[in-house]
Amino acid sequence: MRKVYLDAESLDLVLVPTRPEYEFVFIQTEGKCTAQINLKPFSDAKFKIRIYIYAEGSSEVDCVCTLNVPKDVSGVETDIQIRSWPFDKSKIKARPEMFIANSDIIATHGNALGTLKPEDKYYLDSRGITDYKELVKQSLLNA
Amino acid sequence: MISVENLSASIGDKQILNNISFTVEPGECLLITGPNGSGKSTLLHTIMGRPDITASGSIKIRSGELIDLPCHERSQAGVFMAHQSPPAIDGINTMTLFKEIQKVQNVAGSTSELIKLTKSLFTWIGLPEGWEKRPFNNGASGGERKKNELTQAVYLQNKTQVLLLDEPDSGLEQSSRQKIIDLIQETKNRNGCVLLVTHDKELQELYSANKLDLGNA
Repeated sequence: MRKVYLDAESLDLVLVPTRPEYEFVFIQTEGKCTAQINLKPFSDAKFKIRIYIYAEGSSEVDCVCTLNVPKDVSGVETDIQIRSWPFDKSKIKARPEMFIANSDIIATHGNALGTLKPEDKYYLDSRGITDYKELVKQSLLNA
Repeated sequence: MISVENLSASIGDKQILNNISFTVEPGECLLITGPNGSGKSTLLHTIMGRPDITASGSIKIRSGELIDLPCHERSQAGVFMAHQSPPAIDGINTMTLFKEIQKVQNVAGSTSELIKLTKSLFTWIGLPEGWEKRPFNNGASGGERKKNELTQAVYLQNKTQVLLLDEPDSGLEQSSRQKIIDLIQETKNRNGCVLLVTHDKELQELYSANKLDLGNA
């Protein structure tokens, strides 16, 4: 399942995962978005969460993805990955949180900054492309 | 046509090229040879306009002088480089990149035509199904990245005046070599010119008639 949020203001989502993969894309060009994604899996749920955040101008995104696994829920396997592309003077605060009260769980997470290295920019230049921001934005929108 | 006169290039304080001059006429291919470190790739990057290379001299193509143009304007003027080590670019979707190339290079055609064409090019070159949906070169082998370069070269061949091929064959299976030869021939047929760097003996023999040896330059 893939959801795209364009210039959203707030999101407070409780998700009981039943599918293998969920993608959340935040495109923020103005204002501030506060997003809270709460994951409450049943026993034996196996799922991946992918969160992509793009921000430009002076926009801000504050995103928390929280996994809650109480004692009576077992066999959960999950991987939460967040990738952020802050451009211009924008700010992105993003973090995965895990509250796990059962030892029979496999849970991994990652949080990375998506950056264009000088060699990436040269490569795009060599194709005549200089609007890197737009390319990242369109890539996230059209993936 | 490309005419290079007294071209010198340095990266930082290290001079790589010193007073190189040559001309490649329309419809010709120039084979660039020389030992490792002689500046073969640097010559192609200098023509392409890599920003960390400081260059002096003159690089003229049909549409004019390139030496003071930034890289993207050289590309839009008709210089295409198939890179030796194309990067995997985080966050960039392959099809979106092709759409942007179509836009900035003013290639005619609708989006649906572009999608159809690129899919058929990926199939023709031997890239896996669904390649267009992947992040650019993400998880791709060296050979797949080279095929991606050739696909773009073919896509832009009508716009290309100067084709720079930096070891296009390395990492590719034998059967793909003919596609490189076809691409060079097609560029020559369109009165473009080709600068080829390769360590492949057969390709070297094929294009040895017109050679620049940087070991002796």
